[in-house]
Amino acid sequence: MTDKESAKEWEPKIVAIVCNWCTYAGADLAGISRIQYPPNVRIIRVPCTGRINPFYILRALQEGADGVLVSGCHPGECHYITGNLTARRKFAALKSFLGYIGLEGDRTLFTWVSASEGDRFAQVIRGVTDAVRALGPARKLVKRM
Amino acid sequence: MENVEKKLREEAKGLLAEKKVDVVVGYEKGTLPLTATPCFITTPEEADRLVWNPFCVLNLAKFVHDLLDQHHEAQKRVKPEARRKKVVGVVARGCTSRSLVIQLQEKQYGKDEIVILGVPCGGYLDGKKLAALAGGEEVREGALSEGKIVVKTVSGERQAALKDLLADNCLVCHFNQPVIADIQTGEVAPVAEAEKEYDPVTAFENLPPEARWAYFEKEMAKCIRCTACRNVCPSCYCRICFAEQSQPRWVDIGADASDTQLFQLMRMYHMVGRCVDCGSCTAVCPMGVDLRKFLKKLDKDAFEMFGHRAGVSLEEPAPLGAYRETDGEEFIFEPKAGG
Repeated sequence: MTDKESAKEWEPKIVAIVCNWCTYAGADLAGISRIQYPPNVRIIRVPCTGRINPFYILRALQEGADGVLVSGCHPGECHYITGNLTARRKFAALKSFLGYIGLEGDRTLFTWVSASEGDRFAQVIRGVTDAVRALGPARKLVKRM
Repeated sequence: MENVEKKLREEAKGLLAEKKVDVVVGYEKGTLPLTATPCFITTPEEADRLVWNPFCVLNLAKFVHDLLDQHHEAQKRVKPEARRKKVVGVVARGCTSRSLVIQLQEKQYGKDEIVILGVPCGGYLDGKKLAALAGGEEVREGALSEGKIVVKTVSGERQAALKDLLADNCLVCHFNQPVIADIQTGEVAPVAEAEKEYDPVTAFENLPPEARWAYFEKEMAKCIRCTACRNVCPSCYCRICFAEQSQPRWVDIGADASDTQLFQLMRMYHMVGRCVDCGSCTAVCPMGVDLRKFLKKLDKDAFEMFGHRAGVSLEEPAPLGAYRETDGEEFIFEPKAGG
């Protein structure tokens, strides 16, 4: 059993892929407003959720993330007009497919957080961390060698 | 069936003689009993090699794409005034025609570059079911007559109804006729039980997640990553596949189980709304991986979530290249207020 798997010290490692225009700004606002949220999340900033290749999510899981959160602008508020609407379809299909092969639903999470929702960002991170913590360390799709 | 074959040869001969096409992609008799193999007919005299029977398995749209893609590439090195158009004739059943529609939709070539010889299809023989009938022994001789398959092996003769040996995807096929065709030959009544299409998917969905994961893991463990499934798939036509890209390297080439799982997951995910269930990938898989179980789920999702059926209409784009403002949002994570 590796250190990661020993239940006591284990802390979920969550990759958050967020869009530059809404969620990243929302995270910024949460920081400026000094809202507390768990430190388990590693944020990756991308221009738009539509830019996210679903392989990023799978790759993160393979490389040891216990959960992946993708967050962008609310539908209709995308900086690039429709980026998040195409992303929504991609993620719907991906999430359904991963569920089908037996991956826990809470490993891959999708949500919308706008630039003014610092509060919501902190709530989302708390919610995601709790959800992933409840699942325990990732064991499926993880690289062993 | 014989009439279809005769008509097909006549049409192919005509097209080649009138120089309306440069090549006809079809099937010819295979070298082993009860097989047919893809062939390229370039002269009217050769057209008599064409066959059409339940042994024709592979989706020919792949070859059409390869031929035209190579031609387009070659033409780039020719002076603009010397460039010429190449027209490919293709023998297309339902699933092949749907793949052609997908490729047309994705602007891989123009409608004027292909001539579709539509053929009716009652399903094809599943090689694995045939091997099971022969008890794993080599099929020395085989014959099909009146809906019965008779095989001779070293230990004797066995027979079965053709319907029992048809591939799983053919048994639930919606498209016994091509969706588009320039020349249509013959007509048969549909034999498939299309309403049962998603039954295996629904049954699988109802299993507990751990059982589903165990099945996925077991199937993927068989995969040797020969990429035959990708090479034969008419919807997999990228010049450089993600599996072979090194900058960035999307998928590692190690022997770790997760690498194979990721390769297969990603290849399959590319098929959302683009898989026509032609069964070519399962037919060529040397390890017998149950790819269809997973691909069919993507097909079901594309249909249920986005109301899309792969390759049915030339106007409707692939579901992941489009959106509707009313698309479902059930999967969006909502944190508990104050949580």
